[in-house]
Amino acid sequence: MTNEEVAVAPSLSTHQGEDAFTFQRYDHSSNNRKHLSLQPVENGPELDQLIYNYYSIEETIEFIKSKPQCKRVTLQFPDELVCDCSAVAQAISSKLDIEIMKTPSTCGGNSDCSCPNSIDIENDEKQTVWILADTSYSPCCVDEVAAEHVKGDVVIHYGDACLNPVSKVQVAYVFGKPAVNIDETVKEFQKKYEDSSSRVLLMADAPHSYIMHLVYEKLHPIYPNIAFADISQESFPHSTIIGYKPMSSTMDLQLLNRTFHHLVDDEDEELEQLLMSYDLFHISVPEAPRLLKLTTVFQSVTLFDPVEGTTSQGPFPNLMRRYRYMHMARSAGTIGLLVNTLSLSNTKLLLNKLKAKIIEADKKQYMFVVGKPNVAKLSNFEPIDIWCILGCDHQGIIIDQNNEYFKPIITPFELLLALNQELSWNGKWETDFGKLLVQLKQNENENEHEDHNSEDDEPQFNPVTGKFASSSTPLRRPQYLQVETSTTTNTENAQTNALVNRFSSEVVIRDTVSTAAAQLQTRHWTGLGSDYVDDEENAKGALVEDGIKGIARGYEFDVNNNS
Amino acid sequence: MITNIGVVAFTIEQIRDLMDKVTNVRNMSVIAHVDHGKSTLTDSLVQKAGIISAAKAGEARFTDTRKDEQERGITIKSTAISLYAAMEEDDVKEIKQKTVGNSFLINLIDSPGHVDFSSEVTAALRVTDGALVVVDCIEGVCVQTETVLRQSLGERIKPVVVINKIDRALLELQVTKEDLYQSFSRTIESVNVIISTYVDPVLGDCQVYPYHGTVAFASGLHGWAFTVRQFATRYSKKFGVDRQKMMERLWGDSYFNPKTKKWTNKDKDADGKTLERAFNMFVLDPIFRLFNAIMNFKKAEIPTLLEKLEINLKGDEKELEGKALLKVVMRKFLPAAEALLEMIVIHLPSPVTAQAYRAETLYEGPADDSSCQSIKNCDPKGDLMVYISKMVPTSDKGRFYAFGRVFSGTVKSGQKVRIQGPNYQVGKKEDLFIKAVQRTVLMMGRFVEPIDDCPAGNIVGLVGIDQFLLKSGTITNNESSHNMKVMKFSVSPVVEVAVEVKNANDLPKLVEGLKRLSKSDPCVLTYMSESGEHIVAGSGELHLEICLSDLQNDHAGIPLKISSPVVSYRETVEGESSMVALSKSPNKHNRIYVKAQALDEEVSVDIENGTVNPRDDFKARARILADKHGWDVTDARKIWCFGPDGNGPNLVVDQTKAVQYLNEIKDSVVAAFQWATKEGPIFGENLRSVRVNILDVTMHADAIHRGGGQIIPTMRRVTYAAMLLAEPAIQEPVFLCEIQCPENAIGGIYSVLNKKRGQVISEEQRPGTPLFTIKAYLPVNESFGFTGDLRQATGGQAFPQMIFDHWAVLGGDPTDPTSKPGAIVKGKRERAGMKPEVPGYQEYYDKL
Repeated sequence: MTNEEVAVAPSLSTHQGEDAFTFQRYDHSSNNRKHLSLQPVENGPELDQLIYNYYSIEETIEFIKSKPQCKRVTLQFPDELVCDCSAVAQAISSKLDIEIMKTPSTCGGNSDCSCPNSIDIENDEKQTVWILADTSYSPCCVDEVAAEHVKGDVVIHYGDACLNPVSKVQVAYVFGKPAVNIDETVKEFQKKYEDSSSRVLLMADAPHSYIMHLVYEKLHPIYPNIAFADISQESFPHSTIIGYKPMSSTMDLQLLNRTFHHLVDDEDEELEQLLMSYDLFHISVPEAPRLLKLTTVFQSVTLFDPVEGTTSQGPFPNLMRRYRYMHMARSAGTIGLLVNTLSLSNTKLLLNKLKAKIIEADKKQYMFVVGKPNVAKLSNFEPIDIWCILGCDHQGIIIDQNNEYFKPIITPFELLLALNQELSWNGKWETDFGKLLVQLKQNENENEHEDHNSEDDEPQFNPVTGKFASSSTPLRRPQYLQVETSTTTNTENAQTNALVNRFSSEVVIRDTVSTAAAQLQTRHWTGLGSDYVDDEENAKGALVEDGIKGIARGYEFDVNNNS
Repeated sequence: MITNIGVVAFTIEQIRDLMDKVTNVRNMSVIAHVDHGKSTLTDSLVQKAGIISAAKAGEARFTDTRKDEQERGITIKSTAISLYAAMEEDDVKEIKQKTVGNSFLINLIDSPGHVDFSSEVTAALRVTDGALVVVDCIEGVCVQTETVLRQSLGERIKPVVVINKIDRALLELQVTKEDLYQSFSRTIESVNVIISTYVDPVLGDCQVYPYHGTVAFASGLHGWAFTVRQFATRYSKKFGVDRQKMMERLWGDSYFNPKTKKWTNKDKDADGKTLERAFNMFVLDPIFRLFNAIMNFKKAEIPTLLEKLEINLKGDEKELEGKALLKVVMRKFLPAAEALLEMIVIHLPSPVTAQAYRAETLYEGPADDSSCQSIKNCDPKGDLMVYISKMVPTSDKGRFYAFGRVFSGTVKSGQKVRIQGPNYQVGKKEDLFIKAVQRTVLMMGRFVEPIDDCPAGNIVGLVGIDQFLLKSGTITNNESSHNMKVMKFSVSPVVEVAVEVKNANDLPKLVEGLKRLSKSDPCVLTYMSESGEHIVAGSGELHLEICLSDLQNDHAGIPLKISSPVVSYRETVEGESSMVALSKSPNKHNRIYVKAQALDEEVSVDIENGTVNPRDDFKARARILADKHGWDVTDARKIWCFGPDGNGPNLVVDQTKAVQYLNEIKDSVVAAFQWATKEGPIFGENLRSVRVNILDVTMHADAIHRGGGQIIPTMRRVTYAAMLLAEPAIQEPVFLCEIQCPENAIGGIYSVLNKKRGQVISEEQRPGTPLFTIKAYLPVNESFGFTGDLRQATGGQAFPQMIFDHWAVLGGDPTDPTSKPGAIVKGKRERAGMKPEVPGYQEYYDKL
């Protein structure tokens, strides 16, 4: 090191220069458009034609034309299809001779933003097509909120969809038509099932559902006992499917937003028991939550990846891990309710019920909306012992397979089990909010007769750690606290302006126990200057200097450096 | 001499009165290797001097406890019983501590001898002040004798020794008097060798000597015993010598020349004729003669002998022959209770004596606070301090008596007390409950008698606080009282099985059963594996077997599916990270640079047994690390945390220089380290012996961008990266295995050990016997079925005792699935639903 360099004060924290921190840049993606199964060099008119077919543009235009009252047509694309969005919008608008708009993804409601809020709607007489920005939650769900931003009348949802009922907007689904080699699928199937009497059910995600009956017809002569699942039109009466007509089903065989055809029912069983006797052959690989749900419904699950042409049988998400989390929730003191959907029906109702249940169980709850949850966002909230995520059962639930999250994440189903006094676990996994609410109601009716046995503040045994969890019911303690305060004379409580009162080792803010304040007390560092409390003799204090100005995205200091 | 004989029926008030005279109380445990005859010996004491309340007198037998204990013929749970002894004035004078009057209350705890149940012994030792160490005169000092003896000395518990099963030596081995003497003296010497390694100036010399009266010789089976002191008493009158002097003459190289009537310390007289050792001549000779006469049916000799020894037989006793006669005669000649009670009362400390020097080793807090002072003085009017050492099931299912010892103050029924669990810290609310004691009870065998209160120095059972303590804890009434130190067990729960209900509806019962099981056994561990299985972990196969049968038949009461036993592993490193590991936070604005290195095994062991403790003052801790383990003092003072659970044998050391805001991220780093050490990168097991040095940290200047969300995941990642760069390895638990066998079985033992990756560390012949003792290290993983294999290979002549000894690295690269550890890792990862291959460091490492 030369003398010149020493003259500069050593950098105690990170130097904020451009060379130290560059914003992460994505590698330029080559848009290889796997879903279209292109040859590498294909481009130009062939590509347009492929897109035209894949997205059923023709039918889409007809659909839009048939709804002249819908002035604002919004298109919602998942991340993997967003590369095609402009082509699709272009195709539609050129045929319709209408305008394309894009909602900027970082619209904070600024006045200079060209959001439709600021556009005069009355002038709008032609139909317009809008491409929605990336979805806040799960891409399989219809993003009502984004559509509302542009006051959209209809949402055309592209790609795989969970098909969960939507409450407000009109929806049309375009699943896309991925090319699948049916013969190869049939061959893989035969390789997997050697016994021709096997009871197998064929199922696929929404885009691949159109080949279901084709595969079925090929396989049926060999396997008389197979059945298949098709998209259930009845489950969403207010929406339309473009480019594919599901088979109508007369029987009441619906589950998982699918209808089942050709099920062989010898013993007149309930649908759920009947499905339990079937093996599932699923074309395409579903996301973890959906997969977990499927493994609890069927006897066994085989996944077929149509792109790679391979089958796999695991590893699947493990239901017993959920059992473990359920036990962790039982002994958790603070629960974070993480809202990861805004469009699912019953979300609000369930959220309120859950809150009430948590309070009834003397646990503390907080509600969070963090946008798309990730590891960093959730680990910012240290006092939370366990998260409960309310989200779509296809992609909106976080199944933490690799233990990346700091605190476990459970679903409302597991939380409700955990909040019950009686412990139960039956190998089912329920993600449907409607069903949960029904179940909740039943439990309430049953519990009415029960004496609410609030056995004072006994610690709960936590079978996960094998120890007692003394803080599993933080809100149950105040009564017992009051006994305490009378015996302890807080004579040295000179600092009456302290926000946090400590009554004999209990943290109380305005007569409620604060788990967050308790957490703060266990911390080593409790705020600015708290690490200098010990060395009183050096308490001279430093000179106050001008700090950095601006926002973290780019301080004035950075901006000046760059310019 | 003890004057009372027979079971004493007392009213509860009388017993309660005895408890008040705390100088006349002796709390002691009986400890020994399995099958050395503790319970038989205890039985003979109880029959002669047991106290039962008058109301219960004449009911079923006293020591009768669990059914499986009787079936297997081993003790599983320790049982407390009370004995009463009234001493003659003459003997009371010899007691070198303060006493009042001549009646004594002895609270005796009979503990299990099988190594798997060592934790029961630990719990028993904690509440007692003295130990009666029973040693088989043929087998000598065995592994468990050594373990428990060391443990008792560590707890500052004074030992006295009983050499048991002399009848076997006389009847089966037919040894000569001198051989027997030599064998005794060797056994005593080996006990003293162990004791002498614990030089504790506070406790004084604890070595045992027959001529001090701290060694007794007994036959528990036949119910007789003697100390040199007793014989000295007899002969001191005859020779007109002081008893103390006589005792010294009756042991060691001391000879009596019958011709000259002179004592000498040479084994030859002036004419070169061999003299007989005084011990042999005066102590062993009458016993040998009695044996000889009775067992060889020399009817004529018997009456004269009996007359000489002042033994009177009653009417029908005279008709007896052989062994039966021998028993009766010996019991009258040398009643066991008399010898042992005398030894206990004279040589073991009273609570007053013992607590004066035990207080500082028992109490976590400073030695000068009022609670510690109260303990020191055994003050019944001082602060209440009760240590609950274990939970004893009541007849009411799922409820327990909290069994423990009042160290100071007086605990009363209905009294409101503070119940402090093991994690309690003064001023914090964790693990603290305030509740009333419903009842205080006296626990005598399986009988329970309610008493109003219990003063300091006594052993007590408390009703109504069991819901608040899992296994052990401290009961106080002073808000500023610290905890009593948590017991450290010599065994670890390293053998585990997964249990599963057969019927899903039984699940609540299983969970409740697991809770009860955890309570009822001091050592058993129940937890849930990563993949959601309920795991029960015990110290050995036998321990686990007992726990599981209790779980199925008693605590849960439901049929269970039980997996075959497996061992738990640990993840560790063998070297230092080959380069500095770096991870960036999710927002890329913070970087942590660390290196991992292996912690010395000695340091890990010291952390595990509490010598180096996260709760200690950091300066004191740094001193130990620097002096004993050669640490750099600056490093030793900058230990940020232990992990997992805040007290495990893994450390984070801050080696950064002048990093601003560093204190702010400390909590996040600590939280992340707990998380990372709980689930390691190799296959999700706990880490062990990993030291992580934080070399540098760069942070965003804005607090919001270096919050927990950014630091916690990053610190975890960087710990993993550093570990994977530092020769990761897995450790497996290893048993110390002791096998006693005749010479012809040795070959078989070696071949079985070889097959099982065992490693013989010593092979010795026990002098004077045909028995060999083989000691070996045996990986716990290989120990399943070892006993059976050994029995087969040796024709049933060898029976191993196995106790957890240490963790050892399982040689081989765990990331290579073809190696042995690699296969274990892969299997575990697949079971837990992880990717089968161990991730490379690149997974967690970020490029600059």
